[in-house]
Amino acid sequence: MKDRLEEFVKQNRAAFDDQEPSDRIWNSIENAMGNTIGIGPRQRWWNTVAVWRAAAILFMAVSVGLLFWKTTPVRTADRTALKEFNDVEAFYNRQISEKVEMIGDLQPQENEAGFTQDFQQLEAMYMVLKEEMRTRPTKKVKDALVLNLLVRIDLLNQQIHRIEESDKKESADKKKAEA
Amino acid sequence: MDQSFVNVHEDLINRCRTGDRQAHYALYKLYAKAMYNVGYRITRSEADAEDVLQEAFVNAFRNLASYRGDATFGAWLKRIVVNKALNLIQKRRHEPIPDDDRWDVAEDEVVIEYADDLTVERVKRAIDGLPDGYRTVLSLYLLEGYDHQEIAEIMGISESTSKSQLNRAKGRLREVLGDKKNQER
Repeated sequence: MKDRLEEFVKQNRAAFDDQEPSDRIWNSIENAMGNTIGIGPRQRWWNTVAVWRAAAILFMAVSVGLLFWKTTPVRTADRTALKEFNDVEAFYNRQISEKVEMIGDLQPQENEAGFTQDFQQLEAMYMVLKEEMRTRPTKKVKDALVLNLLVRIDLLNQQIHRIEESDKKESADKKKAEA
Repeated sequence: MDQSFVNVHEDLINRCRTGDRQAHYALYKLYAKAMYNVGYRITRSEADAEDVLQEAFVNAFRNLASYRGDATFGAWLKRIVVNKALNLIQKRRHEPIPDDDRWDVAEDEVVIEYADDLTVERVKRAIDGLPDGYRTVLSLYLLEGYDHQEIAEIMGISESTSKSQLNRAKGRLREVLGDKKNQER
């Protein structure tokens, strides 16, 4: 039963949804749902800010301990460690600056305070350790430096992941809203 | 139905199932306006449409576990909205949809000519002016895209009643929309 009215309605279907629901309806829904919604996305335990902060603090403590460690005279093996380290450092530093740039591009203003603080502290600790590596290179200091780089890369990866997830959510929501 | 379309919000729905508030809000935002209009067309009252929208979403969110993805989420939600809205007008008006055998004669489908100057505003006003029964069947058929079998199931009437109500509703619309044209001439 196709007639002009049906055709007309079909062609102008969107225009028939012209009533706007009030904003307070969402509040009523939220209230009615009680505490069954609002607990936020379930986070994996290892991916919480608290765990990452704890890891960073523990790492800093280990670094400080190492600095006060009774240093042994420079040995040939430690000289090799220094040389090896220079290559590793160059590699990780490249990764770090790429990721920092990526985060800057993705989210120029919204750096999480906790994240930035942890990251800067790790960076500062790194400079101290590097000085130690220059004057008294040992395998322990090298390991601590590499670990510092790895922890920072992990922190950056977490941050990029968070930004990407929220971007994905936003663009998906936008796309669905437009559809 | 296109299978890829069915689960278009699967990710969002799964997040809702974990209690994610943002996902609930996103889903609400996606469907609130369309569903509010569905409710408004049946109840013809802002307050009732708001109640219907709220109840339908709360109901849908609480029963997400029973949503199996065999229809689109929108279709599933729309069915909840339509049922709530129908319950509400039936309770309010004590005016059941006539399902009398006398009216069940399947009528010939008439090709109806309308005036050339159809506008959304005029058609909407004409639909709003229909009695509850006609308006509901016509809205479900023309605007919500249900077929007579579905309308019969939703409203608890027979398919032929659904057909005859639609024909009468269209007849009434033609009078209203045609009259307007004659007046303007």
